[in-house]
Amino acid sequence: MVVVTVQPDGVTVDLREGETLLAGLQRLGYLYRWGCRRGGCGVCKVDVVAGAVGYSGVISDTVLSLEEREGGTALSCQAVPAGELTVALRNDRLTAAAPWLLKQAISITTQRSDIRQGEITK
Amino acid sequence: MSVMRLGYVHLRVTDLDSAKGHYGTTLGMTETASEQGKVFYKGWDEYDHHSVVLEEGGVGLVKLGYKCETSEDIARYESRAQRFGASVARMSKGDNMAVGDGIRITLPSEHTVELYSDMEHLGTEPGVLNPESWPRFGRGVSVPRIDHALLTCEDPAMVERFFMECLDFRPSERVVTDPADPELIGTWLFCTNTPHDIAFIKGGNGKFHHFAYFLEDTSAILRAGDIFAMDDVPVDVGPTRHGITRGHTIYFFDPAGNRNEVFANGYITYPDFPTITWTADQLSKGIFYIGRELNERFTSVVT
Ligand code: FES
Ligand SMILES: [Fe+2]
Repeated sequence: MVVVTVQPDGVTVDLREGETLLAGLQRLGYLYRWGCRRGGCGVCKVDVVAGAVGYSGVISDTVLSLEEREGGTALSCQAVPAGELTVALRNDRLTAAAPWLLKQAISITTQRSDIRQGEITK
Repeated sequence: MSVMRLGYVHLRVTDLDSAKGHYGTTLGMTETASEQGKVFYKGWDEYDHHSVVLEEGGVGLVKLGYKCETSEDIARYESRAQRFGASVARMSKGDNMAVGDGIRITLPSEHTVELYSDMEHLGTEPGVLNPESWPRFGRGVSVPRIDHALLTCEDPAMVERFFMECLDFRPSERVVTDPADPELIGTWLFCTNTPHDIAFIKGGNGKFHHFAYFLEDTSAILRAGDIFAMDDVPVDVGPTRHGITRGHTIYFFDPAGNRNEVFANGYITYPDFPTITWTADQLSKGIFYIGRELNERFTSVVT
């Protein structure tokens, strides 16, 4: 398990080894703004606040340039956390696709008391 | 004679192997050739050498090819395009695998369109003598043929004028901001009897929104959707109907993030087809007739 914190709400989730940020958040019942889910459009970009990410496949530098990568931009549909990670969504917040999924998700995370469903479904 | 049809779509893909899984196995196109970093495909009902070219490296559109009937037609289009002020270059047999002489136009929208009149003929599996209706052992969606492409550009009015004046296309449908003071924000153009052979919506120059495969009917669209579920293909929108063109549709993404569509039905056009107008306030119904909701993904994701 890899602990990932997502700003601005500070939601903490456990991702599976090798799972991309988007796949993990989606599995746990969260929604945010994404596009092709294939690394082609750049709509899913997030900022890495702490930690690092890796990519298993090829990423086109027309979608994510080297400068962006070095500047801490991650393509969340392709990025796999390399250990504990904090990212920030850009002008976006996590919302809950299915509240019952989310409860389960929260119960298996690190039990942070500051996560309340009401806050993130707004 | 006007331009006959959309002949080929040449795309960039980040990874050729995963793209082959998508275009070859999921969509069921047939690989007809390959060369360094490129692979060529055709649908089962296409008799020319290829209709889709995948090139490894990056993402997005390299160019579209439209097939003309004769080289005289191409010469006429060449001089018109030059007069219009578009940049036009000659291409010769062999510049593209299996494609004869032709011209390469850089559109006012910065996209590249090639016109050619000759491509190596491969024929189809059912053939032309007492043929079966479809190939018995098709793979996946088993797409018969490509149908149209939609690109984005800064000035749809200018690009529409180019296609009408230089290439004899006609507009089937238009989207305008306000009929009293119309600014064109989308145009659907045909050269065949279909609702569109190319379309442009307002956006960045040189960008690719999608290209579409023709499928026989709505049940084929739903069956394609099932296969996308089986193969975990990200679906953008659908199944639904378009108000514009009246087609039934699913939009989905290839492994590099290029948008594809499966498209069925839609009306017939003729040279005297009366152009349909949509106003921007009804755009969501024009694009997605059933749900009437434009999602941000559909309008913002281009490659
Ligand atoms: S969603 Fe398109 S690049 Fe991530
Ligand atoms: Fe389309």
